[in-house]
Amino acid sequence: MKLSSVKYLTGTGIKNMWVNKLMTIASVGTLVACMLIIGVAVMIAQNVTFALKGIEQQNIIMVYFNDRNSVVYGDATPLVEIPKNEDGTRGEIPENAYLVHNEQEALAIVAEIEKLDNIESVEYVSKETSLEAVMDKYLQGQTEVQGVLTEDENSNPLSDGAKITVDSMELYSQTAEQLKTISGITTVTAQGDIADKLVAITDALRTAGFWIIAILLLISLVIVSNTIRVTMYNRKLEISIMKAVGATNAFIRLPFVIEGVFIGLISSGVAFGFMYLMHSAIVTELGRVLSLSSIVPFRTYALNLFALFAAIGLISGVVGSVIMMGRYLRKEGSEFRAL
Amino acid sequence: MESLQNPATPLIEFDGVSKTYKGGTHALQDVNIKINKGEFVFIVGSSGAGKSTFMKLIMREEKPTTGQIRVNGYHLNKLRSKDVALYRRTLGIVFQDFRLIPTMNAFENVAFAMHVTGASSREIRKSVAGALSVVGLSHKARCLPAEMSGGEQQRVALARALVNRPEMIIADEPTGNVDPNMSYEIVELLNEINRRGTTVLMVTHEHQLVSDFDKRVIMIDKGKIVADNGDGNGGVV
Ligand SMILES: Nc1ncnc2c1ncn2[C@@H]1O[C@H](COP(=O)(O)OP(=O)(O)OP(=O)(O)O)[C@@H](O)[C@H]1O
Ligand SMILES: [Mg+2]
Repeated sequence: MKLSSVKYLTGTGIKNMWVNKLMTIASVGTLVACMLIIGVAVMIAQNVTFALKGIEQQNIIMVYFNDRNSVVYGDATPLVEIPKNEDGTRGEIPENAYLVHNEQEALAIVAEIEKLDNIESVEYVSKETSLEAVMDKYLQGQTEVQGVLTEDENSNPLSDGAKITVDSMELYSQTAEQLKTISGITTVTAQGDIADKLVAITDALRTAGFWIIAILLLISLVIVSNTIRVTMYNRKLEISIMKAVGATNAFIRLPFVIEGVFIGLISSGVAFGFMYLMHSAIVTELGRVLSLSSIVPFRTYALNLFALFAAIGLISGVVGSVIMMGRYLRKEGSEFRAL
Repeated sequence: MESLQNPATPLIEFDGVSKTYKGGTHALQDVNIKINKGEFVFIVGSSGAGKSTFMKLIMREEKPTTGQIRVNGYHLNKLRSKDVALYRRTLGIVFQDFRLIPTMNAFENVAFAMHVTGASSREIRKSVAGALSVVGLSHKARCLPAEMSGGEQQRVALARALVNRPEMIIADEPTGNVDPNMSYEIVELLNEINRRGTTVLMVTHEHQLVSDFDKRVIMIDKGKIVADNGDGNGGVV
């Protein structure tokens, strides 16, 4: 199609919107309402996901190794029977009653863990590091207890272990199960139920979001189609003349598509502006009671939101007008009959 | 174009054409006709005879139920929808009810037909002014249809049909909505256009017109051609 035609038809499309002022305003208004519902859903989803991420250690699994302490203080079953002293107390623990004897063997298990799927990072945590952390966190100032725990190399009751960060929360429980099968690991502390709940919530949000967008997209489509249909019937005479003087279907269709696209794009611009204002208002209101850091800043998802609005506008504009025009142009009977 | 036109090949050729509408009406039955380039043909017949159907088949608004139609090198039975548009640009169609867009003035109404072909605004200005002067309405270029008489409106419509320099003018009762004096003027105008080389096909009910202008007359009755004073071989001049 020639440039002069495109210019002319774009002008015609815009003129049609003007001639159809009320219809245009009504459809822009409805589209904006649809987009705002989508926008609010996105805003809620963003903030809920953000809040969930804030729940600490949601994707962390702690494992403890089968070392001497796991047999002495932990609930690990010794691999061989432990001899008893004459007075019935537990005797010396043989070396072959447990698997991890030194840092080298501990690191070998860490390497084993790294080979699993869904592992983002593994950090070796020696029993000394753990002890320091425990004392730091829970035993501050209790020098007596601290003294007992650090008396000699056998007084630390903790085991060597590893801190594992998993990739996908969906596979959290599965990964925890896999970890249990690695020999040398005695204890796996995983907050599987919390992880599963978080995954369920995010899944639900995602599904709800999908359906909200799908349904509102459909509504937008119907609205734009209807506006285009009104324009089309208003322009029946023009269309019949265009056909008679040899206009191609593409030429006849273009002004309608342009009208649809403009309605869609104007709506997305207006909806985006409203979202911005709404976000500012919410921030000012909530800012009084919440710290601002607990609200996801608008700009982090503004671009995606605008792209989503524009896509909805474009899709409903193009598809709505093409469907309507297709039906009209293919219609049976006299195509030159105007009224 | 003239030199390429084989004189033995008619501009319009119907070969055993029948048209039965969905409801079962046999609007045309076994029509065989040849119309040559440069002819002026009146199509006459009583109401419901099939005249409009005949014209619609030429405009490719309808397709024949059986038979072949060839116009100006286009095989209408085989035309794809994209080529239908190009084919129609070789026709100048005039409607009984003028079909002017009420919100556009005379100039814009004529220009409308040129926009469709993708013409530039310079070409449009030139050709529209030319077409309006042919129908003698240069002074009414800025008038809206509502500000013109029926005859003037039909002349604007005629200018619109002419502006793309069609091979032929197809007019179904172009004088049906104007008074007898105006009718005469419009046919006079068509005659002038015809003298300049454009083939003209016109349906009319007005016997007076047919006898005033000594042209080829095809008479249709109950879907059949019952009289034709031209032989289609060289035409009647
Ligand atoms: N689209 C259609 N569907 C069904 N039947 C039709 C259609 N168009 C025309 N007919 C029928 O075909 C027959 C011929 O119609 P046509 O319009 O060709 O007649 P006409 O000679 O132009 O008549 P008039 O002088 O009244 O305009 C009529 O019986 C009419 O009812
Ligand atoms: Mg008729």
